Amino acid sequence: MFDIVSFLVSWFPIFSIYAILALCLNMEIGYTGMANFGLVAFYAIGAFVAGYTSMTIFLSFYGYNYPIYSLDAIITMGKIAGRTPWLNISVFILSLILAFLVAGLAGYLVSFPTLRVGPAFLGITILSFGEMLRVFMKHFQPTGGSYGLLGIPHPFAWVSDPLIKNLLFVIVTLVILILVFIYFELLANSPYGRALKSIREDEIASLCLGKPVPRIKAELLFVASGVSGIAGALYVFYLGSVAPDMFVTAVTFEVWSMVILGGRGNNMGAILGALIFSLLNRATAILNFIFLDLLIDPNYIRWMITGILIIIVLMYRPKGILAEKTVKTDAWRIFGEAQRDWDRITAMIQVANRYLKRAFHWLIGRETK
Amino acid sequence: MTNPILEVRNVSKRFGGVEALRDVSLEVKRGSITGLIGPNGSGKSTLFNVITGFYKPDSGSVYFEGRRIDGLNPNEIYNIGIARTFQIPRLFGSLTTLENMMLSPRGQKGESLLRAPLRKAWVNEELQIANEVKNLLKEFNMDGAYRMVASSLSGGHVKMVETSKGILGRAKLILLDEPTAGVHYAVGRSLFEYISYLRKTANLTFFIIEHRIDLLFDYVDYVYVLHMGRLLSQGTPEEVASDPKVIEAYIGGA
Repeated sequence: MFDIVSFLVSWFPIFSIYAILALCLNMEIGYTGMANFGLVAFYAIGAFVAGYTSMTIFLSFYGYNYPIYSLDAIITMGKIAGRTPWLNISVFILSLILAFLVAGLAGYLVSFPTLRVGPAFLGITILSFGEMLRVFMKHFQPTGGSYGLLGIPHPFAWVSDPLIKNLLFVIVTLVILILVFIYFELLANSPYGRALKSIREDEIASLCLGKPVPRIKAELLFVASGVSGIAGALYVFYLGSVAPDMFVTAVTFEVWSMVILGGRGNNMGAILGALIFSLLNRATAILNFIFLDLLIDPNYIRWMITGILIIIVLMYRPKGILAEKTVKTDAWRIFGEAQRDWDRITAMIQVANRYLKRAFHWLIGRETK
Repeated sequence: MTNPILEVRNVSKRFGGVEALRDVSLEVKRGSITGLIGPNGSGKSTLFNVITGFYKPDSGSVYFEGRRIDGLNPNEIYNIGIARTFQIPRLFGSLTTLENMMLSPRGQKGESLLRAPLRKAWVNEELQIANEVKNLLKEFNMDGAYRMVASSLSGGHVKMVETSKGILGRAKLILLDEPTAGVHYAVGRSLFEYISYLRKTANLTFFIIEHRIDLLFDYVDYVYVLHMGRLLSQGTPEEVASDPKVIEAYIGGA
């Protein structure tokens, strides 16, 4: 029996997390042409920051002073995680904010030595940064070394029904995914997005048009790394644990395949890529149960299919499934072209705004005009 | 003539053992079209790169409107009003003509990370720039090309778009590096016609590297000749054309 709800509950958060990562990478490689081969580093930073913050706050709030990686801490967390709903929620929100800031700052700092060099140097530098970070975390005792942290409190641990608890988390990840998507769409379809694309096309020419290329790159690395950090934090709350070996370089390349397959420079494409690969992951994982005497580990089958898919897509659609679109700003209106994408997003925001207003007025007991 | 808009004083630049520029001093008068000629490898492009901030001079200085500008970054130099084009045009290949041209105006409000998502903050400016682009395209007789991807434009159109950057960027001084290279003679002539039209109507100053001396000399006020990194000769086109040193440098003396 295929249970759609439990499938959704276990698959959707992973899909959202990967979609957020793919959106970040798309802003970096698809728009700005920065080959970020170390995306996983910022994802990991977000994850560890969230794990560390939530464990520390919970334990100290209840007055325990075990090290957060100790067995006592894990056992205690099991008892106290569901006691104080407001603490769960606020720790969750605080963790997301801190994950954003710390990962963003790391992205900003890492960009410094590489700002004025070409994409290959940037890629290799960040790639090695990611690996160094992973090895460092394996030996960094305050976050549990290679075992990592366990028993991280779920933001909805106070909900007794596990299904509702998980569904709430699905909604939270969906909302965050939508917000990230809207923000990146707004950024991409603005004069700033145009400047980003000009950097991708020709850095020197962009500099010659007065665009502060190094600064723009650093800013974008801050934002995209910060948002990757949020994805890391969500992953930690989803799993309830964090360990250095979850953040191997392969994760970066998985996100790369999503962006390449879905379409570079197209945010919808990034999400589509994430959708395809997260479903593929599930499908190959199921193989394991159906064919118990499979000759190859399904994990490898997944990578083979990934490779074949990329080759096929690049043969027939070199720009990815969804090709890149022009920067949609109001300039096109002057030439008599409707802004379909743009209008759709503005309309979406307006509708959302209206419902929020209505909900707010309902809460405070007033009539909406 | 009025005071110079650009002054290069005793600039020298070395690349290892190669002396690309040696003690070059020159002036570009405001509102003029000034030419820079010289055989291949004489240092013309190096001089442009020094003026626009890509190279720092080993010694000497560059002044723009009385302000010292050597040592500024290329983007800062663009933002004080010096635009340049390249020998091989550098348009943003996969962006449309419209997007290419919209990138030129300097200091756009919507180009800051914080303001970009707030459409209200930049929409008026954006519409205004787009209108200007539309009028320019009409002037160039390329109305329909706004939607075309820059890499599919014809050579003449590419040159036009490249030149338009300086106009849209409200530059005071435009450095053109071989504007007519690789285009038909007639197109080159109409480009120069356009340049001298702009000089009159938009109060722009041009400093032009050009190998087609016949074309250049019909339009420039003043010419500098570089040879082996040194200033060889200067004067009005007539003076330079009759200078035996220049003839020797071009034809190659004994």
